[in-house]
Formats: sequence, C-alpha cells, structure tokens
Amino acid sequence: MSGLLQKIWIEVRWPVLWLSLGMCAVMSLLTALLPKVLGNIHQMFDNMPMVKPLLTALLGVDPGDQVSAQLSQAFLWVHPTVLTLLWAHEVMYCSRTPAGEIDRGTADFLLCLPVSRWSIFLSETIGWLVSGLCILTFGYAGHLTASLSVQPAMRLSTSDTMMVMANLGAVYLAVGGFSFLVSAFSDRRGRAIGVVFTTLLASFLLNFLAQFQDLAKAISPWLSVMEYYRPAIIIQTGTFPWSDVIVLLSLASVLWIAAGLVFRSRSICTV
Amino acid sequence: MAVIVTKDLCRSYGSRRGIVDVNLTIEAGEIFGFLGPNGAGKSTTIRVLMGLLGAGAGSAKIFGLDCWSDGPVIRRDVGYVAGDVRLYSWLTARRGLRMLSRIHGRNLLAAGEELAERFRLEPDLPVRKMSRGNRQKVALVLALAHSPSLVILDEPTSGLDPLMQDTLMACLREMAAKGKTVMFSSHTLSEVETLCDHIAIVRDGRIVEDSTLSALKAQAPRQIIVTLQADQNAVSISWPGFVSVKYMPDETNADGPSERIQNSVAALISPSLRKRTCVLELMGSSMVFMQWAATQNFADVVIGPPSLEVLFRRYYETTMETV
Repeated sequence: MSGLLQKIWIEVRWPVLWLSLGMCAVMSLLTALLPKVLGNIHQMFDNMPMVKPLLTALLGVDPGDQVSAQLSQAFLWVHPTVLTLLWAHEVMYCSRTPAGEIDRGTADFLLCLPVSRWSIFLSETIGWLVSGLCILTFGYAGHLTASLSVQPAMRLSTSDTMMVMANLGAVYLAVGGFSFLVSAFSDRRGRAIGVVFTTLLASFLLNFLAQFQDLAKAISPWLSVMEYYRPAIIIQTGTFPWSDVIVLLSLASVLWIAAGLVFRSRSICTV
Repeated sequence: MAVIVTKDLCRSYGSRRGIVDVNLTIEAGEIFGFLGPNGAGKSTTIRVLMGLLGAGAGSAKIFGLDCWSDGPVIRRDVGYVAGDVRLYSWLTARRGLRMLSRIHGRNLLAAGEELAERFRLEPDLPVRKMSRGNRQKVALVLALAHSPSLVILDEPTSGLDPLMQDTLMACLREMAAKGKTVMFSSHTLSEVETLCDHIAIVRDGRIVEDSTLSALKAQAPRQIIVTLQADQNAVSISWPGFVSVKYMPDETNADGPSERIQNSVAALISPSLRKRTCVLELMGSSMVFMQWAATQNFADVVIGPPSLEVLFRRYYETTMETV
C-alpha cells in the first residue's frame, strides 16, 4: 500500500497545502473580523430582513436581535467560505478514484497493478482522512492565532472549539462518503463532482427553506446534512452533539462501505 | 502447462457485442499472437483477463486462478501494457519503478533502468513532456521490470519507431526463451507473423482461427505471379484446378490489375509487364505447380511464400462485409 500512498502524496500534496493555507487565512480573517461585523448586525437586520433567516439557517438557532460574541464565533464554523473550501477539497479528492482515473484513462495502469481494489480504495481513504485533518488543523491554527487579537471574553473555549471541530469532522466524513459513492458509480469525474455539489447545494438550500416551510422542515432531517451540524447549539449548551455525530458517522460508514463494494465489483471500461 | 485458459468466455457492453464464446489455451513459453481487425474483441478479451471487466459468462483463468476474484495474486506475475497507453503526467520511468518496487516488495530499479537504457528512454523525464512513443516505452519498462512469467501486450508497437519495435521483439523473444509466456495482440499481421508461434484470429467477438503458425501457413495460399510471353493469351491457357486465378489481363480489365492486386504485386513486377501478368493463388505445395508451369513456356513465374496476409484479409473482409 505504501506505493499507492506515495502516488497519492505526489498527486495531492500541493493542492492540499494550498487549500490548508487558504483555510488558515480564511479562518484567521473571519475570527478577527466577525465579532466586529456581527456586533452591528441589528442594523443589517433592519435594512435587510432576509439576512436574519439566513443567519438562523446557518447557525441553527435564532440569533435574536443581537448576536452575542460567542454566537459570532459559531458563525465562523458555518461560514460558507469555510464549508466551501472544505467540501471543495473533499469533492475533488474523493472523485479521483475511480471516476477521475477512468476519465483520464489511467485506470488501466492503476487497476492492473498487483493490488486489490480494496487496497486502492483504502489508500485513497487514508489520503482523504489525512488531507482533511491537515486542512482542519490549518484552519484551527488560523483561528487560534487570530483569537489572540480578540478580547478574551469573545474567545471560544478550547473544549467548545474541539466539539465543533469534531462535529465538522463528522460532516466531512459524511460528505466524503457520499462523494466516494458517486465517484464509484461514475466514469466521468466532472459528472461526479457536479452530482455531489448539486446535492450539497440542495442540502444547504433545504436547510434554509426549513426556516419558512413546514414541508422543508419535515424532510430536512432526512435530506440535509446541515441539520446535523449546529455549532451555535454546541457553544450555547456546551454539550457534545452525540446524536448528530452518531447520525453523521453512521451515514459516512454506510456510504463509504457501499462505495468500496461498488468499486470492487464494477467493471472498468475505458474503451 | 497452460498459463491462460478461457472457456466459453462471453462479455457484452449492454446491447453491444463484446466477445462470444472465446476459448483459448496458451501454454507456458509460447508467444501467442492475438489477431483481429479493430473492434473485433481483442482488447475486451484482454481486459477480462486483467480483471478490469467481469466475464458475462464462461471463465477466464491465468495460472489456474480466476482472473476476476484472484486478480491481485495473478497480477504479481503479469506485465501488462494497455492498447491506448495513458499514464500520470507526473510519472517518470524512475518514479514508476520506485512505486512498483514498493508494491512488489523488491527493488526493481536496476532491472528497470537496464530496460530503460535498452529502449533509449530518459528515466527522469516526466510523461507530460514525452512523445507518444516514449510514453509507450515507459509503459513497457514498467510492465517488464519485474520479469513477469506472463506478459500481455495490447498493440504495443503503436507509436514505436521500427528500431524500437525490433528491440521489443528481441526482448520478447528472450523472455520466451526463458520460458516466459507472451500474449501479443495486434491488427498488424507482419509483426505477429515474425514473432509468434501460436496465433488466434478473432472476428466479430468470436475466435475464428486458433492454430500454430506452421499450421496456419499450411492453410495459407501462396501467391503466384505469372508473366506471359508477348504472344501468349491468358484466356486461352488451361489453368489447372489446384490454382485459383485472381487476375488475368483481358479486354474487360485493360487498365491492368485492381488496386489491391497492384499493391500486393507492385514490389514484385515492373509496371511495364503488368499487362502481361496473371495473379494466381495456390494451396499446398508449389512443386506440383512448378511441374505444370514447366510445360507452359511462361516468360517468368514468381512463387511467394505462404501468405498469412491473404488468410487474414479473408477473415477481415468477411467482417467488413457483415458490418
């Protein structure tokens, strides 16, 4: 498997490094700026009433007329830029094999190596986990560094941050599992990426619509991954979201195993 | 001992035909030529053997192991070059060898570098900067470096210059001499004819011929070019039954032989003589024909070797007619 990991390292090290640095920069900027921006949010609520439901959808709780310092830190973890960076990485990464390999015609070379498809899938999974950890760690480092410039009262405790990050990690696993599954069925990387991004966007929109529509609210727990990621609630209550994390991890496991089984059993046709 | 055995192997692509009832047995140490026109089913058969495609029906075994379920074990001792070689843009021969060394658990750098030198390949040049021929060489080096017992090559000479084709042929002959097995797919008869001792021809997904080269040559007709004297008339000659006349000059074809016959005889007869030339095909020994020809007072007779080309064209043209 080390040969396969070497191949993954060669292929993904630079994109992962750039994304990690990007995440670090975004997190540090948001950590420093969000308390200032959200401190005057009530004015924005008056001028642009649509902002409040959007914020409620993202945070999972009604921020009221004023956004507390801690809630502003929660907004950091659901900020679309942060989620986009993380999801972009894993959608790109998880669509590499087999969809990307078939698409660029290198599947013949890879799959004719004397390794099982499970080994290939496992090595891709290791790369995915390590790269995700790397990006999240860089993000956390950016957040931590910028926190030094924020008043101590506005800082999140380490335990709260870790709980939010664990929840975000579970989201990462669920989205990655889904991406792997779509990729396992697909011969075209672009199509696989399109399907996953569309699904994520729909999930995001559903979470937003759930604030206004009963139907969307009813189906949101089944179809929206954001339903299981509520940093604001974690920060407010200070308790670990066991049920959300278990749901996400179960979903991730089922999707990942299904992806592996599909990849192992499908015929690869590049001609 | 049979290295590759397929029994009633079938594989289709939805409603499209792939291969139908392919039965092959390739013995250890053979150089097996797998011939057929484009789209006949050569690559599909190979892809089933390499475990890329599952068999729809029947079985495919290498070293007695199932190609689909035992693929990783089989591939430890198989070298494979795909028909349309696509490699990672970052890959160099040396990087590929390092990667393979880790996968095989033994150092392949020395053997691989020796091969790279033989194929005149720069070991540190990345694939993105390579010509098609050099990419083909990288694939060959990576396929042969671990000295596999079986080499499966799907049209490996495409992109290689004639010198490198010769190097590859020599390399494969050396491997066969060491008891290793080579499966060589091609639609170019001449390279199969010069390399292989066992040939199968696939057409429309079915094996239509599976024989040794010598047995095929016995079936193959010889082309005979007879140049008549200026006063001889081809129509009035009583041609014997053991030859079939493919062309003779008469009033209906005053322009000379057809393009195909011209192509096949162009190297043998001068243009000025073509209007006095008959083209015949002979099955079996040429001695009988020579005895008959000695009584005919022809200006010249050229008897070619048994032509697999004619045999192959016969299969090929039947395919084209059915399309």
